[in-house]
Amino acid sequence: MADKPSTDDILAKLRKEAQGGGGGDETPASAQPAAETRAPAPPAGETPTSTNDIMAALRAQGGKAASEPSPAPAARTGETPKSTNDIMAALRAQSGKGASPAAESKPAAPKKAGAPASLPDGEKPSVEEMLKGLRGEAKAADTAPAKPAKPTMPPLPTKPPVASKKKEPETRRNFLIALVATPFALAWTAFTASAGAFTLGLARFMMPNVLVEPPSTFKVGPPSDYPPGTVSTKWKAQFAVWLVHAEYEGKSLIYALSTVCTHLGCTPNWLEGEQKFKCPCHGSGFYINGINFEGPAPRPLERHAIRVAPDGMLEVDKSRKFQQELGQWEDGNSKVEVV
Amino acid sequence: MDPHPDLTSGVVFGLGWFYLILFAMNACWVVRSYKQDGEMHLFGIEVPKASFWALYAALLGMVSIAHFTGSSQPDAFLIRMPEIFKDYADLTIGNSKLGPVLFFAGSIVGFVLMIVLREILVVPTVGWVLLNGSLLLLGLSMTDYDFRQIVAKPDNVPIVAMLFIVGYTTWLYFARAVDNDRRVKEGRPLYEEEHQEKILVWPDLVYSELVCMLVITAVLVAWGIALDAPLEEPANAAKTPNPSKAPWYFLGLQEMLVYYDPWLAGVVFPSVILGGLMAIPYIDYNKKGNGYYCFEDRWFAVSTFLFGFLPLWVAMIILGTFLRGPNWNIFGFYEYWDVHKLEVLNNVNLSEYFWLTLMGGAMPKVDPSAGAATQAVQILVREWLGIVLTLGYLVVLPPVMAATVCRRMFHRMGFLRFMVFSNLMLLMLALPIKMVLRWAFNLKYIVAVPEWFFNI
Ligand code: FES
Repeated sequence: MADKPSTDDILAKLRKEAQGGGGGDETPASAQPAAETRAPAPPAGETPTSTNDIMAALRAQGGKAASEPSPAPAARTGETPKSTNDIMAALRAQSGKGASPAAESKPAAPKKAGAPASLPDGEKPSVEEMLKGLRGEAKAADTAPAKPAKPTMPPLPTKPPVASKKKEPETRRNFLIALVATPFALAWTAFTASAGAFTLGLARFMMPNVLVEPPSTFKVGPPSDYPPGTVSTKWKAQFAVWLVHAEYEGKSLIYALSTVCTHLGCTPNWLEGEQKFKCPCHGSGFYINGINFEGPAPRPLERHAIRVAPDGMLEVDKSRKFQQELGQWEDGNSKVEVV
Repeated sequence: MDPHPDLTSGVVFGLGWFYLILFAMNACWVVRSYKQDGEMHLFGIEVPKASFWALYAALLGMVSIAHFTGSSQPDAFLIRMPEIFKDYADLTIGNSKLGPVLFFAGSIVGFVLMIVLREILVVPTVGWVLLNGSLLLLGLSMTDYDFRQIVAKPDNVPIVAMLFIVGYTTWLYFARAVDNDRRVKEGRPLYEEEHQEKILVWPDLVYSELVCMLVITAVLVAWGIALDAPLEEPANAAKTPNPSKAPWYFLGLQEMLVYYDPWLAGVVFPSVILGGLMAIPYIDYNKKGNGYYCFEDRWFAVSTFLFGFLPLWVAMIILGTFLRGPNWNIFGFYEYWDVHKLEVLNNVNLSEYFWLTLMGGAMPKVDPSAGAATQAVQILVREWLGIVLTLGYLVVLPPVMAATVCRRMFHRMGFLRFMVFSNLMLLMLALPIKMVLRWAFNLKYIVAVPEWFFNI
């Protein structure tokens, strides 16, 4: 061949081989031609060659199942089961019989559905039918199996028959399940507990034993250091406050403004020329008195406590704050009046 | 010497390379055009259309040579962005009042045009013209000092690249979608059906993945060597860089924060965006468009998504990257980033508009010392208009929509799905609405309760 075969070619070839090869083996009667579906289904009982084949076969059966009852998927019939659920259901049905053959009173799933091996092809009940019969006895209300409402949708996969589990006497299967499940339960419990303990341990870090922080109370020099109409940025880097001496409500006040933007916490800059604090993050602006007037900041800058200490120095206490919108600027501790 | 020279030898030389690459690209295009575009009548003779592209490419080649030879005297170099254009652009965009409005309106208009004119847009020649136009604009703009400061910053280089990639992928989508729409109309099989793209995982897919991996690694290494990481001084809580920008992919969020309170723009909206994107498969009832490109089959879904993505996200990234300068003011593309640029943005709450301007009285007082219940009543009195408007927007509007414009959707979706859907849509539209209100009326908050940190 002159050029490389394309992917399509390869796939086509593979498919053809799968089909042809299958025909040679014992082709059981159940290998009906995958009626009016797109993909050729490999004959049953044979190992499919590729994922595509499997898919094709499944689709072919699925399509069929939507319109007519498909043969029972039990392994003996040689049919490829339709879905995992079906396989499980079929297996359970069988194992249920095998495990406790004596328990005749049990919902006789295998009994009703037990026919498939002896019945001729095409008359075998579908998985749906088996399950319906099964559950019809177990709990009739619950059955209402996938209504055949929408023609486009295949019937919903039905639940495996677990209904009788509780009434059942202790069986090997239950014992096995318990054996498998318990370590899981144990492991998850242990995991959850240790994760919880770990989280709690992390929370402990929120309350450190020693806190290395600058003192919240500090002296900033005599009031005369702050002439009227000025903003001192001297303490901004160390203590994150501006010392402002300005008129507010007709009085000449010195107050300590926090340098934390009330919008999202950036540090604004004092712009001497424009006489405003301006935040570089989203453009909030505050007057010299801390009142917000532009940008998104919803409330004025906060003040910290300030007082004249006995030695005549101004003393700022950062542990207390005063918010204008809560009316706290009236508080005498939030300002020092200069006359 | 000018400390901020528009042109330096290095810049001119680099632009020479830029135009050389452009020349090479267009030379390839000439070949393609010669093979595919055919001929046209011009003054009675048959001229291949490719000849125009050949002329253009030759011009680019000459421009490139001019850059290489002229790099020794950058001051005297002539090919640069005209000052008039720069001034004009700065005046319109950098003007604080009009700038963002123009920018946003422009992005919306561009978005609508893109959808309306998609049939024209997807002609390869049109796409090529657009690409060339944007590259030429970029190249010419690079001759401006201030523009270069922003665009050539190592953080911003990927953003510029991203813009071109977004442009390309959007174009590609429309090209495929318009093609398929035509096929559907003419009853031909879809492109995806005709050109089955199934390949074998091994070796085809694995090989191409390997090649992609190698290419990306090479690009990253080259990038890492060529552009230094934009490190800044050590962090300092007392000093916020000015302007302080989020990572580029979050600039949309940062822009949102300009208009909304932090808890909304920083917490609620991002969660709604994520949750809403995850909810799309459950809201969408349109079964068409599965596994193939299309526009007409899914025009609503596609336009909604593109609206959220292009004007509300990508355009916000452009705005945040190129137009926001110190103090988060708006600056033009070619404008000097002046820290002292004055912008008057006196913002007013809706309640202040109502009580002070409309009623001409005083704001109802909220007594901080009163109990919570009294305060709540007082706040309700003060903010009633905003609260009514907001509730009306989010609670009354969805049923109204269901009864009028979206009646078919409501029937298809059912009550719960429709409520989720309509609220997601309304929340998405809330951003442009608030932006317009801010620009047009300096409106700060519709509901402003600073006492309780609750603002909308
Ligand atoms: S943090 Fe200051 S304006 Fe957003």
